[in-house]
Amino acid sequence: MNALRIIGAFLRLNVQVALAYRSEAVVQILLNLMWLGWELTSLAIIFANTNELGGWGPAELVALLGVWRLVNTMMSIIVWPNTEKFNQGLRDGSLDYTFLQPANSQFLVSVTRIELWRLWDFVIAVVLIVAGLGMSGRVATPANIATFLALTVSGAAVLYSLWIVMIAVTFWFTRFDNNVTILAALMDAGRFPAQVYPFWLRLLITFVIPIAVATTVPLQGLRGELAWWETAGFLALGVLAVWVSSRLWKAGVRRYSGASS
Amino acid sequence: MFEIFRRLWALNWAEQWQYRANLLMYLLFWLVSPVVYLAVWTTVAQTQGNVNGLTANDFAAYYMVLLVVDVLTSQITIHVLAPEIQNGNLSNRLLLPAHPVLTQVLVNNIAFKALNLIALVPIWLVLYLLFRPALNLNALYLLLAVPALIVAFGILFLLGSALALVAFWTTRVWALWNFYSAVFMLFAGHFVPLALLPPVLQTIARLLPFPYTLYFPIQLILGKLGPQDIALNFGMQSVWLALAWVIFRLVWRAGVRQFSAVGA
Repeated sequence: MNALRIIGAFLRLNVQVALAYRSEAVVQILLNLMWLGWELTSLAIIFANTNELGGWGPAELVALLGVWRLVNTMMSIIVWPNTEKFNQGLRDGSLDYTFLQPANSQFLVSVTRIELWRLWDFVIAVVLIVAGLGMSGRVATPANIATFLALTVSGAAVLYSLWIVMIAVTFWFTRFDNNVTILAALMDAGRFPAQVYPFWLRLLITFVIPIAVATTVPLQGLRGELAWWETAGFLALGVLAVWVSSRLWKAGVRRYSGASS
Repeated sequence: MFEIFRRLWALNWAEQWQYRANLLMYLLFWLVSPVVYLAVWTTVAQTQGNVNGLTANDFAAYYMVLLVVDVLTSQITIHVLAPEIQNGNLSNRLLLPAHPVLTQVLVNNIAFKALNLIALVPIWLVLYLLFRPALNLNALYLLLAVPALIVAFGILFLLGSALALVAFWTTRVWALWNFYSAVFMLFAGHFVPLALLPPVLQTIARLLPFPYTLYFPIQLILGKLGPQDIALNFGMQSVWLALAWVIFRLVWRAGVRQFSAVGA
């Protein structure tokens, strides 16, 4: 209940911020639509030259684009803005006030900033997923859809946990303010199925910076390509990631001594 | 004039060197999308033998050369110039007896490029070993590529500067830059070798300066162009260089007149 009230307070605050910069939001939404056009054009060009990409057809790549945008939206609504706030707080000491508050600090640093107008991106992402599914002519069973939803949530949880680990590492190496760059840089690789990439890159985006776990894998679940133990494994990975990252966060917080002291 | 450039170089090199760790991260950021497209197109070429006559090796060679050409010809003017206009620092530079964009900003770009190139060498070698494209390089074409690359950088630098100068009028200059980047990526040959674009898009591309700044140098280095094509492309490059110069001068003159420094 307390957590909900805190989120409610932050939401109110962020609505006020968003309302203060209305025209900026409009410009960003238009730009986002332009990039959507770019992404769809690039898919059209690829499939003008081939029928399948690594075993995936055009409809499935549209759905994948949707899943990728879903993950990206999560990153741009909370992860990137809060990273900026966190890094700044660590440098100038304002993070002290976060730790003084009587709530879970990991929770607080994750939801202080919320870029609300990007919620619109969620709509586009869902439309892409549904349209992709419809075009593929494949009938997804309720079980497949449930698997897909579960894998999407756990994939997002894995990326979120990785982010927590990355910013928690800054407690040990304070000067490391490029802490999340590698994650941001590799996000782009999620637009195409992992099967397309050479072995080393597939390893990198599956195990090291597991973007594929949040993009390719849920869609494989939707296509019914995963055995039950694979699905269970990916879900367990999500739970494990959340647990490990929260432990590491706590250890990091214990090391924190404030920028001024 | 030479003395001005020498001093500016020392200053800008020292400044860039200080941020070398950030530079590596920037390079990583910039590297991902060419490698992704390389992978996508080689996969397509492998499944069906070739794409419009281009084999998997052709794509690998194309993107490996693209990495070098892109570092050599790209520019970061907006990141240098737009903030200076917005926070009013440009006023100090306007008082100096040298054109701020054609001295300070230009040298800053070149220092950034030099450092980037040094960092790119080891990364490029690793990627070369991973993809192993067969590159048939020819001394004559490499020699011809030198002026092509310099002119390409000139065009992109002048256009990029003109775009950054829009900051004189509006704070939305970054949105404009975003749009420019998307157009550039599609029509310069970033996403796909231009020969694979649908005919309509190829026609549009020919009317834009971008193919002459990236696609042309790459094709030249790869030895894909005959003497006639090379001459034609150099001709188009000269036309665009002249046009870019005119655009830049016009925007600069109008912009400086419009400029009222923040806080002044």
